[in-house]
Amino acid sequence: MPVKTSVFIRRAERDDLDTVVAWMEDPDFVRFLYGDPARSPKQIRERIVSMLGRSAVQAIPGGLYLVIDSVDYGPVGLLSLQNISWRNRACCLDMFVGHEKLRGHLASAVAFYCAMEYCFHELNLHRITAYIYSFNEASWQVLEKAAAVRELVLREHVARDGQLYDMYGYGLLRSEYEAECRKHPRFVEGLMESMIEEQAKALEARQAESGQ
Amino acid sequence: MITGECAVIRTAEMDDATALKAAYDVPLPRSCLLDQRRELLTPTVDELRQTLGRQEVGQSLLYTIEDREGRVRGFCSLRGVNQEVSYTEFVMVLIDEEDYDTPLADEVFEFLSRRAFVEMGLNKIAAHALDEEATVRAYLLRHGFTSDGVQREVIYAGGRWHDLEALSLFAKSTPYASPKAADAPQPRREAPCQ
Repeated sequence: MPVKTSVFIRRAERDDLDTVVAWMEDPDFVRFLYGDPARSPKQIRERIVSMLGRSAVQAIPGGLYLVIDSVDYGPVGLLSLQNISWRNRACCLDMFVGHEKLRGHLASAVAFYCAMEYCFHELNLHRITAYIYSFNEASWQVLEKAAAVRELVLREHVARDGQLYDMYGYGLLRSEYEAECRKHPRFVEGLMESMIEEQAKALEARQAESGQ
Repeated sequence: MITGECAVIRTAEMDDATALKAAYDVPLPRSCLLDQRRELLTPTVDELRQTLGRQEVGQSLLYTIEDREGRVRGFCSLRGVNQEVSYTEFVMVLIDEEDYDTPLADEVFEFLSRRAFVEMGLNKIAAHALDEEATVRAYLLRHGFTSDGVQREVIYAGGRWHDLEALSLFAKSTPYASPKAADAPQPRREAPCQ
Protein backbone atom coordinates (compact mmCIF):
# COMPACT_ATOMS: atom_id res chain seq x y z
CA MET A 1 0.00 0.00 0.00
CA PRO A 2 1.42 3.44 -0.92
CA VAL A 3 2.59 5.50 2.02
CA LYS A 4 1.30 9.06 2.46
CA THR A 5 3.48 11.53 4.23
CA SER A 6 3.40 15.21 5.05
CA VAL A 7 7.22 15.40 5.12
CA PHE A 8 9.28 16.86 2.28
CA ILE A 9 12.73 18.35 1.84
CA ARG A 10 13.65 21.75 0.40
CA ARG A 11 16.70 24.01 0.16
CA ALA A 12 17.43 25.89 3.39
CA GLU A 13 16.50 29.59 3.22
CA ARG A 14 17.70 32.59 5.21
CA ASP A 15 14.33 32.55 6.97
CA ASP A 16 15.29 29.18 8.45
CA LEU A 17 18.27 30.70 10.26
CA ASP A 18 16.73 31.03 13.73
CA THR A 19 15.31 27.51 13.59
CA VAL A 20 18.60 26.01 12.46
CA VAL A 21 20.57 27.92 15.14
CA ALA A 22 18.18 26.56 17.78
CA TRP A 23 18.72 22.99 16.50
CA MET A 24 22.48 23.38 16.47
CA GLU A 25 22.40 24.65 20.07
CA ASP A 26 20.49 21.54 21.11
CA PRO A 27 22.86 19.34 23.18
CA ASP A 28 21.64 16.34 21.20
CA PHE A 29 22.94 17.92 18.00
CA VAL A 30 26.45 18.07 19.47
CA ARG A 31 26.13 14.59 20.94
CA PHE A 32 24.91 12.83 17.81
CA LEU A 33 26.60 14.94 15.15
CA TYR A 34 29.33 17.48 15.82
CA GLY A 35 30.13 20.89 17.27
CA ASP A 36 31.56 22.36 20.41
CA PRO A 37 29.02 22.83 23.24
CA ALA A 38 30.86 26.01 24.24
CA ARG A 39 30.27 27.72 20.90
CA SER A 40 28.38 30.98 21.18
CA PRO A 41 25.06 31.40 19.31
CA LYS A 42 26.77 34.16 17.32
CA GLN A 43 29.44 31.75 16.06
CA ILE A 44 26.80 29.17 15.17
CA ARG A 45 24.83 31.83 13.32
CA GLU A 46 27.91 32.96 11.39
CA ARG A 47 28.70 29.39 10.45
CA ILE A 48 25.19 28.75 9.17
CA VAL A 49 25.13 31.99 7.21
CA SER A 50 28.38 30.97 5.54
CA MET A 51 26.98 27.49 4.87
CA LEU A 52 23.85 28.89 3.27
CA GLY A 53 25.92 31.39 1.29
CA ARG A 54 28.26 28.69 0.02
CA SER A 55 25.54 26.52 -1.39
CA ALA A 56 23.51 29.32 -2.95
CA VAL A 57 23.04 29.21 -6.72
CA GLN A 58 26.47 27.79 -7.42
CA ALA A 59 26.43 25.52 -10.45
CA ILE A 60 28.58 22.92 -8.69
CA PRO A 61 28.32 23.36 -4.93
CA GLY A 62 30.51 21.31 -2.61
CA GLY A 63 27.78 21.11 0.01
CA LEU A 64 23.99 21.37 0.15
CA TYR A 65 21.84 22.16 3.14
CA LEU A 66 18.27 20.99 3.07
CA VAL A 67 15.47 21.51 5.55
CA ILE A 68 13.14 18.64 6.33
CA ASP A 69 9.78 20.35 6.33
CA SER A 70 6.26 19.22 7.08
CA VAL A 71 2.81 20.68 6.51
CA ASP A 72 1.74 19.43 9.91
CA TYR A 73 4.74 20.43 12.03
CA GLY A 74 6.67 23.06 10.05
CA PRO A 75 10.46 22.65 9.74
CA VAL A 76 11.42 19.43 11.55
CA GLY A 77 15.09 18.90 10.79
CA LEU A 78 18.22 19.52 8.85
CA LEU A 79 19.85 17.42 6.15
CA SER A 80 23.29 18.23 4.91
CA LEU A 81 25.13 16.75 1.98
CA GLN A 82 28.81 17.41 2.57
CA ASN A 83 31.97 16.87 0.57
CA ILE A 84 30.04 16.38 -2.63
CA SER A 85 32.49 15.06 -5.19
CA TRP A 86 31.26 15.47 -8.74
CA ARG A 87 34.17 13.42 -10.00
CA ASN A 88 33.46 10.47 -7.71
CA ARG A 89 29.71 11.19 -7.74
CA ALA A 90 29.63 10.76 -3.98
CA CYS A 91 28.65 12.72 -0.91
CA CYS A 92 28.54 12.45 2.85
CA LEU A 93 25.11 12.73 4.45
CA ASP A 94 24.23 14.10 7.91
CA MET A 95 20.71 14.34 9.24
CA PHE A 96 19.29 15.86 12.40
CA VAL A 97 15.64 15.81 13.42
CA GLY A 98 15.30 18.93 15.54
CA HIS A 99 11.64 18.40 16.33
CA GLU A 100 12.04 16.23 19.44
CA LYS A 101 8.66 14.52 19.19
CA LEU A 102 9.47 13.28 15.71
CA ARG A 103 12.77 11.60 16.55
CA GLY A 104 12.56 7.88 15.99
CA HIS A 105 9.29 8.58 14.20
CA LEU A 106 8.52 7.60 10.61
CA ALA A 107 9.45 11.19 9.69
CA SER A 108 13.17 10.40 10.07
CA ALA A 109 12.96 7.41 7.78
CA VAL A 110 10.89 9.35 5.26
CA ALA A 111 13.38 12.22 5.30
CA PHE A 112 16.19 9.78 4.68
CA TYR A 113 14.34 8.23 1.73
CA CYS A 114 13.77 11.75 0.37
CA ALA A 115 17.49 12.44 0.67
CA MET A 116 18.37 9.24 -1.18
CA GLU A 117 15.91 10.06 -3.94
CA TYR A 118 17.40 13.53 -4.24
CA CYS A 119 21.01 12.29 -4.25
CA PHE A 120 20.56 9.49 -6.75
CA HIS A 121 17.84 10.75 -9.05
CA GLU A 122 18.37 14.52 -9.00
CA LEU A 123 22.09 14.95 -8.33
CA ASN A 124 22.92 11.73 -10.24
CA LEU A 125 25.28 10.55 -7.51
CA HIS A 126 26.73 7.05 -7.41
CA ARG A 127 27.20 6.68 -3.68
CA ILE A 128 26.13 8.11 -0.32
CA THR A 129 28.35 7.82 2.74
CA ALA A 130 27.13 8.37 6.30
CA TYR A 131 29.09 8.25 9.53
CA ILE A 132 27.10 7.41 12.66
CA TYR A 133 28.25 6.89 16.21
CA SER A 134 27.74 3.40 17.59
CA PHE A 135 25.48 4.67 20.39
CA ASN A 136 23.07 6.27 17.90
CA GLU A 137 21.28 3.01 17.24
CA ALA A 138 18.05 4.54 15.95
CA SER A 139 19.90 6.27 13.12
CA TRP A 140 22.00 3.39 11.96
CA GLN A 141 18.95 1.13 12.02
CA VAL A 142 17.23 3.48 9.55
CA LEU A 143 20.26 3.22 7.28
CA GLU A 144 20.38 -0.55 7.49
CA LYS A 145 16.67 -0.79 6.68
CA ALA A 146 17.38 1.31 3.61
CA ALA A 147 19.94 -1.30 2.44
CA ALA A 148 23.01 0.77 3.37
CA VAL A 149 26.02 -1.41 4.19
CA ARG A 150 28.11 -0.97 7.33
CA GLU A 151 31.50 -0.78 5.67
CA LEU A 152 33.65 0.64 8.44
CA VAL A 153 33.91 0.22 12.17
CA LEU A 154 36.27 2.96 13.31
CA ARG A 155 37.20 1.86 16.79
CA GLU A 156 37.40 4.36 19.67
CA HIS A 157 36.87 7.19 17.25
CA VAL A 158 34.65 9.66 19.06
CA ALA A 159 34.69 10.93 22.64
CA ARG A 160 31.44 11.55 24.51
CA ASP A 161 30.99 11.94 28.26
CA GLY A 162 34.62 11.03 28.87
CA GLN A 163 34.35 7.76 26.99
CA LEU A 164 35.55 6.66 23.57
CA TYR A 165 32.98 5.14 21.21
CA ASP A 166 33.18 3.46 17.83
CA MET A 167 31.97 5.21 14.73
CA TYR A 168 30.31 3.31 11.89
CA GLY A 169 30.79 4.21 8.25
CA TYR A 170 27.85 3.29 6.01
CA GLY A 171 27.83 3.23 2.24
CA LEU A 172 24.87 3.01 -0.09
CA LEU A 173 25.41 2.58 -3.82
CA ARG A 174 22.90 3.72 -6.37
CA SER A 175 22.47 0.15 -7.62
CA GLU A 176 21.57 -0.97 -4.08
CA TYR A 177 19.08 1.88 -3.67
CA GLU A 178 17.45 1.03 -7.00
CA ALA A 179 17.23 -2.64 -6.07
CA GLU A 180 15.47 -1.57 -2.87
CA CYS A 181 13.07 0.60 -4.87
CA ARG A 182 12.25 -2.36 -7.12
CA LYS A 183 11.51 -4.44 -4.03
CA HIS A 184 9.10 -1.85 -2.62
CA PRO A 185 7.85 0.11 -5.65
CA ARG A 186 4.54 1.23 -4.21
CA PHE A 187 6.14 2.49 -1.01
CA VAL A 188 8.62 4.66 -2.89
CA GLU A 189 6.16 5.89 -5.53
CA GLY A 190 3.59 6.77 -2.90
CA LEU A 191 6.19 8.56 -0.84
CA MET A 192 7.42 10.69 -3.69
CA GLU A 193 3.94 11.59 -4.93
CA SER A 194 2.76 12.63 -1.51
CA MET A 195 5.98 14.61 -0.92
CA ILE A 196 5.40 16.65 -4.05
CA GLU A 197 1.77 17.24 -3.13
CA GLU A 198 2.68 18.30 0.41
CA GLN A 199 5.44 20.62 -0.78
CA ALA A 200 3.00 22.36 -3.11
CA LYS A 201 0.44 22.65 -0.30
CA ALA A 202 3.00 24.09 2.12
CA LEU A 203 4.19 26.60 -0.45
CA GLU A 204 0.63 27.73 -1.13
CA ALA A 205 -0.10 28.05 2.58
CA ARG A 206 3.04 30.10 3.19
CA GLN A 207 2.38 32.34 0.21
CA ALA A 208 -1.14 32.96 1.48
CA GLU A 209 0.25 33.69 4.95
CA SER A 210 2.85 36.18 3.70
CA GLY A 211 0.19 37.87 1.51
CA GLN A 212 -1.99 38.61 4.52
CA MET B 1 66.46 17.04 11.10
CA ILE B 2 66.31 13.37 12.06
CA THR B 3 69.18 11.31 10.75
CA GLY B 4 68.60 7.59 10.79
CA GLU B 5 70.67 4.73 9.46
CA CYS B 6 68.96 4.89 6.07
CA ALA B 7 66.71 7.95 6.06
CA VAL B 8 67.04 11.64 6.76
CA ILE B 9 63.74 13.25 7.73
CA ARG B 10 63.39 17.02 7.71
CA THR B 11 60.60 19.56 7.30
CA ALA B 12 59.65 20.04 3.65
CA GLU B 13 60.76 23.22 1.95
CA MET B 14 59.64 25.14 -1.12
CA ASP B 15 62.49 23.65 -3.10
CA ASP B 16 60.98 20.17 -2.61
CA ALA B 17 58.04 21.09 -4.85
CA THR B 18 59.41 19.35 -7.93
CA ALA B 19 60.01 16.11 -6.02
CA LEU B 20 56.54 16.32 -4.46
CA LYS B 21 55.03 16.80 -7.92
CA ALA B 22 56.58 13.47 -8.92
CA ALA B 23 54.49 11.80 -6.21
CA TYR B 24 51.32 13.14 -7.84
CA ASP B 25 52.36 12.20 -11.37
CA VAL B 26 51.39 8.55 -11.25
CA PRO B 27 48.82 6.75 -13.40
CA LEU B 28 46.62 5.67 -10.48
CA PRO B 29 45.68 7.78 -7.46
CA ARG B 30 47.46 7.39 -4.14
CA SER B 31 45.20 7.30 -1.12
CA CYS B 32 47.34 9.71 0.91
CA LEU B 33 47.17 12.38 -1.79
CA LEU B 34 43.39 12.48 -1.97
CA ASP B 35 41.59 15.50 -0.57
CA GLN B 36 38.68 15.57 1.88
CA ARG B 37 36.26 14.66 -0.92
CA ARG B 38 38.51 11.73 -1.88
CA GLU B 39 39.42 13.47 -5.11
CA LEU B 40 42.87 13.38 -6.58
CA LEU B 41 44.43 16.80 -6.81
CA THR B 42 46.62 17.72 -9.74
CA PRO B 43 48.65 20.64 -8.44
CA THR B 44 51.30 22.44 -10.46
CA VAL B 45 54.84 22.81 -9.18
CA ASP B 46 54.11 26.50 -8.48
CA GLU B 47 51.06 25.63 -6.37
CA LEU B 48 53.07 23.08 -4.42
CA ARG B 49 55.83 25.66 -3.86
CA GLN B 50 53.24 28.06 -2.44
CA THR B 51 51.75 25.36 -0.20
CA LEU B 52 55.14 24.33 1.11
CA GLY B 53 56.02 27.98 1.71
CA ARG B 54 52.90 28.42 3.84
CA GLN B 55 53.74 25.68 6.35
CA GLU B 56 53.50 27.04 9.86
CA VAL B 57 54.68 25.73 13.17
CA GLY B 58 51.81 24.00 14.96
CA GLN B 59 50.16 22.79 11.75
CA SER B 60 50.40 19.22 10.51
CA LEU B 61 53.90 19.58 9.14
CA LEU B 62 54.95 17.84 5.98
CA TYR B 63 58.36 16.17 6.17
CA THR B 64 60.68 15.31 3.33
CA ILE B 65 62.29 11.87 3.37
CA GLU B 66 65.77 11.71 1.92
CA ASP B 67 68.21 8.85 1.70
CA ARG B 68 71.69 9.24 3.16
CA GLU B 69 72.95 10.48 -0.22
CA GLY B 70 70.53 13.42 -0.13
CA ARG B 71 68.06 12.15 -2.77
CA VAL B 72 64.41 12.87 -2.01
CA ARG B 73 62.61 9.52 -1.69
CA GLY B 74 59.23 10.72 -0.41
CA PHE B 75 57.18 12.69 2.08
CA CYS B 76 55.40 12.01 5.33
CA SER B 77 53.13 13.73 7.82
CA LEU B 78 50.69 13.28 10.67
CA ARG B 79 47.56 14.87 9.24
CA GLY B 80 44.54 16.26 11.06
CA VAL B 81 45.62 15.64 14.64
CA ASN B 82 42.46 15.38 16.71
CA GLN B 83 43.40 15.94 20.34
CA GLU B 84 39.81 15.50 21.58
CA VAL B 85 39.69 11.87 20.53
CA SER B 86 43.42 11.43 20.45
CA TYR B 87 44.09 10.26 16.91
CA THR B 88 45.78 11.39 13.74
CA GLU B 89 46.21 10.21 10.18
CA PHE B 90 49.46 8.55 9.15
CA VAL B 91 50.55 9.83 5.76
CA MET B 92 53.56 8.55 3.88
CA VAL B 93 54.15 8.70 0.15
CA LEU B 94 57.27 7.22 -1.36
CA ILE B 95 57.98 8.18 -4.95
CA ASP B 96 59.31 4.75 -5.86
CA GLU B 97 56.85 2.02 -4.85
CA GLU B 98 59.65 -0.46 -4.21
CA ASP B 99 60.83 1.69 -1.29
CA TYR B 100 57.86 0.61 0.86
CA ASP B 101 59.62 -2.67 1.56
CA THR B 102 62.92 -1.18 2.71
CA PRO B 103 64.51 -0.20 6.04
CA LEU B 104 64.13 3.43 4.93
CA ALA B 105 60.34 3.06 5.05
CA ASP B 106 60.62 1.30 8.41
CA GLU B 107 62.54 4.26 9.80
CA VAL B 108 59.77 6.61 8.64
CA PHE B 109 57.22 4.45 10.45
CA GLU B 110 59.31 4.59 13.63
CA PHE B 111 59.61 8.36 13.35
CA LEU B 112 55.89 8.99 12.82
CA SER B 113 54.61 6.42 15.30
CA ARG B 114 56.97 7.64 18.01
CA ARG B 115 55.90 11.19 17.32
CA ALA B 116 52.21 10.28 17.53
CA PHE B 117 52.25 7.91 20.48
CA VAL B 118 55.12 9.20 22.60
CA GLU B 119 55.60 12.90 21.88
CA MET B 120 51.93 13.72 21.23
CA GLY B 121 50.50 11.04 23.50
CA LEU B 122 47.85 9.99 20.99
CA ASN B 123 45.79 6.82 21.23
CA LYS B 124 45.42 5.86 17.60
CA ILE B 125 46.75 6.49 14.11
CA ALA B 126 44.60 5.93 11.07
CA ALA B 127 45.68 5.22 7.50
CA HIS B 128 44.11 4.37 4.14
CA ALA B 129 44.95 2.17 1.19
CA LEU B 130 43.28 1.97 -2.20
CA ASP B 131 42.50 -1.43 -3.69
CA GLU B 132 45.49 -1.17 -6.03
CA GLU B 133 47.95 -0.05 -3.36
CA ALA B 134 48.98 -3.55 -2.35
CA THR B 135 52.47 -2.47 -1.29
CA VAL B 136 51.11 0.33 0.94
CA ARG B 137 48.65 -2.09 2.53
CA ALA B 138 51.36 -4.70 3.11
CA TYR B 139 53.57 -2.02 4.67
CA LEU B 140 50.81 -0.93 7.06
CA LEU B 141 49.94 -4.51 8.05
CA ARG B 142 53.62 -5.30 8.62
CA HIS B 143 53.71 -2.46 11.12
CA GLY B 144 50.71 -3.64 13.09
CA PHE B 145 47.82 -1.77 11.44
CA THR B 146 44.55 -3.68 11.30
CA SER B 147 41.65 -3.18 8.92
CA ASP B 148 38.57 -1.17 9.94
CA GLY B 149 36.75 -2.05 6.73
CA VAL B 150 36.48 -1.10 3.07
CA GLN B 151 34.46 1.69 1.50
CA ARG B 152 33.20 0.40 -1.80
CA GLU B 153 33.36 2.30 -5.10
CA VAL B 154 34.28 5.53 -3.41
CA ILE B 155 36.79 6.85 -5.96
CA TYR B 156 36.56 7.04 -9.72
CA ALA B 157 39.88 7.05 -11.56
CA GLY B 158 41.42 5.43 -14.61
CA GLY B 159 37.99 4.53 -15.99
CA ARG B 160 36.77 2.50 -13.03
CA TRP B 161 35.63 2.59 -9.43
CA HIS B 162 38.08 1.97 -6.62
CA ASP B 163 37.56 0.76 -3.05
CA LEU B 164 39.29 2.42 -0.13
CA GLU B 165 40.33 0.51 2.98
CA ALA B 166 40.63 2.19 6.37
CA LEU B 167 43.21 0.86 8.80
CA SER B 168 44.24 1.82 12.29
CA LEU B 169 46.96 1.22 14.83
CA PHE B 170 46.46 1.73 18.56
CA ALA B 171 49.18 2.81 20.97
CA LYS B 172 48.35 -0.20 23.17
CA SER B 173 49.45 -2.58 20.43
CA THR B 174 52.85 -0.96 19.96
CA PRO B 175 56.04 -0.96 22.06
CA TYR B 176 55.06 2.60 23.05
CA ALA B 177 52.17 1.42 25.21
CA SER B 178 54.06 1.55 28.50
CA PRO B 179 54.29 4.82 30.41
CA LYS B 180 58.08 4.65 30.13
CA ALA B 181 57.90 4.41 26.35
CA ALA B 182 59.45 7.84 25.92
CA ASP B 183 62.62 6.59 27.55
CA ALA B 184 62.71 3.32 25.64
CA PRO B 185 65.36 2.88 22.99
CA GLN B 186 64.10 3.00 19.43
CA PRO B 187 63.57 -0.46 17.90
CA ARG B 188 66.65 -1.85 16.17
CA ARG B 189 66.59 -2.51 12.48
CA GLU B 190 68.07 -5.70 11.22
CA ALA B 191 68.21 -5.17 7.47
CA PRO B 192 70.89 -2.88 6.08
CA CYS B 193 70.00 0.20 3.99
CA GLN B 194 69.67 -0.36 0.29
